[in-house]
Amino acid sequence: MSSRAAVITGCGAVSPLGVGVRALWEGLLAGRTAVAPIARFPAEDLTPRNAAEVREVGAADPDRAGAFALAAATEALADAGLDPRALDARRVGVALGTTLGGMLLLERWLAGDARPPAEMAAIPYYGPAVRLARSLGCRGPVATPQLACASGTHAIALAADWVRAGRADVVLAGGADLLCRFVVAGFNCLRATADAARPFDAARRGLVLGEGGAILVVEEAGHAARRGAAARARLLGVGAAGDATHMTAPDREGRGAARALAAALTDAHTPPAAVSFVSAHGTGTPYNDAMEAVAITRVFGRRAVPVDSIKGAIGHTLGAAGAFEAILCAQVLAEARIPPTAGLVTVDPACQGLDLVVGAARTHAVTVAVSSSSGFAGTNAALVLARA
Amino acid sequence: MSLAVAITGAGALTGRDFSFDGLPEAVQTRAVRAERVTQLVLAAAGKALAAAGLDVADGVPRPRLGIVLGTAFGCFLTNAAYERRFLEGGPAAASPRLFAATVSNAAAGELAIAYRLGGPLVALSAGAASGLVALGHATDLVSSGRADALVAGGADALGDDLCGWLAAGGLDTGRPPAEAAAVFVLERGDLARGRAVLGTIEGVAAGFEPDLAGPRAGDGLAAVVATALEAAGRAASEVRVVVSAAPPGLADLEARALAGVASPTVLHPKDALGETFGAAGPLGLLAALAAAPPGAAVLVLDVCASGHVAALVARAGEGA
Repeated sequence: MSSRAAVITGCGAVSPLGVGVRALWEGLLAGRTAVAPIARFPAEDLTPRNAAEVREVGAADPDRAGAFALAAATEALADAGLDPRALDARRVGVALGTTLGGMLLLERWLAGDARPPAEMAAIPYYGPAVRLARSLGCRGPVATPQLACASGTHAIALAADWVRAGRADVVLAGGADLLCRFVVAGFNCLRATADAARPFDAARRGLVLGEGGAILVVEEAGHAARRGAAARARLLGVGAAGDATHMTAPDREGRGAARALAAALTDAHTPPAAVSFVSAHGTGTPYNDAMEAVAITRVFGRRAVPVDSIKGAIGHTLGAAGAFEAILCAQVLAEARIPPTAGLVTVDPACQGLDLVVGAARTHAVTVAVSSSSGFAGTNAALVLARA
Repeated sequence: MSLAVAITGAGALTGRDFSFDGLPEAVQTRAVRAERVTQLVLAAAGKALAAAGLDVADGVPRPRLGIVLGTAFGCFLTNAAYERRFLEGGPAAASPRLFAATVSNAAAGELAIAYRLGGPLVALSAGAASGLVALGHATDLVSSGRADALVAGGADALGDDLCGWLAAGGLDTGRPPAEAAAVFVLERGDLARGRAVLGTIEGVAAGFEPDLAGPRAGDGLAAVVATALEAAGRAASEVRVVVSAAPPGLADLEARALAGVASPTVLHPKDALGETFGAAGPLGLLAALAAAPPGAAVLVLDVCASGHVAALVARAGEGA
């Protein structure tokens, strides 16, 4: 079991910054934000009503998350140089996080719009994973991690565990989520939203929702080597931990997030001092960002490692967020550049312990990167990735 | 593949025998306010943790104890309840209390708070195979030393909207749906604190059937059966009890996958219990452990019309 290792051999993204990893990466480096008034569905009665929408994919597909996942998976497989039909189907799996799944279909059904059985079947959270698994013809493990806003991160962790434990050789792992009235009204009624996402900023007022799909090909290192595929990054360690304090508010002391980070570093056999980049959850809510500043400082020390959040650029993409952030880590490792945190102008005094990348991209050689995610129900998950 | 994992506690209940009796008062207080699936999980997990001697409901979170729960539908009923109020009354009627529970890890989160479990906090969905897929993930976490003990299993609740969705063609179960929760406390066999062991999980495998009507239907299930037996280091001839799980429409597929397993005893717990989705596999494991002689190997299946399949091989313990 310990002789098997997980690497990332392909990435694919459908984000509010455009279709493809390149569009995402260039938008992030430029500090662009895709946040704008919602245009794709009626939102006049919703306040706030800004969000980061995907414009190019899934416009006519009622299973929007599934459409995002399929498009991202197609790019990831091409990037990895893999034809899933040429693999042993029993050794190919899918781990796809989502917090909404077929929510558009549920909205329509409950509004009295009868749908054919094939569309009804796509309503549950496992729907997008099933659609992707069928399109690949895979016969290996298929699961939908349910860790709220840490689902995308744990999907990659689950894939790493399956690969290392010998349950699969190739796993399409990531997340997909969509914007709809259900979720925008929901976060609004929790008073968790704002018109602009400003992670770690003194003037931050809340999160802005986003949507999209992000898929990584998580592959057994020997399997990749035997077919001559180059790894984009190595997946060294994964960790998860519960706050066990409150269902919606994060532990103010960041103890659960710190436990997840420490667990991932232990799993990676990597000391905190070896880490040279942290992708934060960084939602832009007052509580989350202050909690994370405590957790990251607790694990890595004060201003010891550059930190970035992409949620000012593409919004909070919920079940996809952790997968986008894993792709960010792979890009930072490969390109030695860290994008700025869009929306961040004046660092909050409560977040001064973090070395945040502000204003412009920073050139910085990174050998080990860490991604951290947290979600409702007090869940936390973390990944440790290393340069290939 | 991995070290065998010991079962040191179990708790299970169906919607019919549901009760909070015996739970610590602090847990009961949380449970009465919770959504249905969370209530089922708290009641079942309370029994399992008590049986394992780990039912502490106060103090700081215990970082080496965690949760892996499988659920086919999780917060489906809460989603529908929230959406109905929102559709009816607009944004002013959107309920923050309901929306905050529209996550399928709500039951796991409540369980972590109730019993001070600060380790891995994981929920996952794999249709009616969610329970065994969760047990497989938990087995990996425990055997690789990432937790000392995990509450692992599955649960699903029923309600009008879920029944309406099933009736509208959402998922072919072939049997009446039923609600239940069934969870175990899993620990590394060599670290089981000398407690009585109900059974030992020796191998778990998860797979998928991409085309249930195609010429290769059944290959995925056959592969997981073979993989689970191989992980357990067992020959098919050693299996003494098999737990069948396929909906009637997939009985042939299951029979083909089991062609090499000539077990003397085949149990069909779903014929009595109905389709319990995320709880089905763990309930099947309980039934198998109760039916098998001490030390005998059992093979438990999960099969769902969504395509998700899983198999688990365990050895019955002396205390089963």
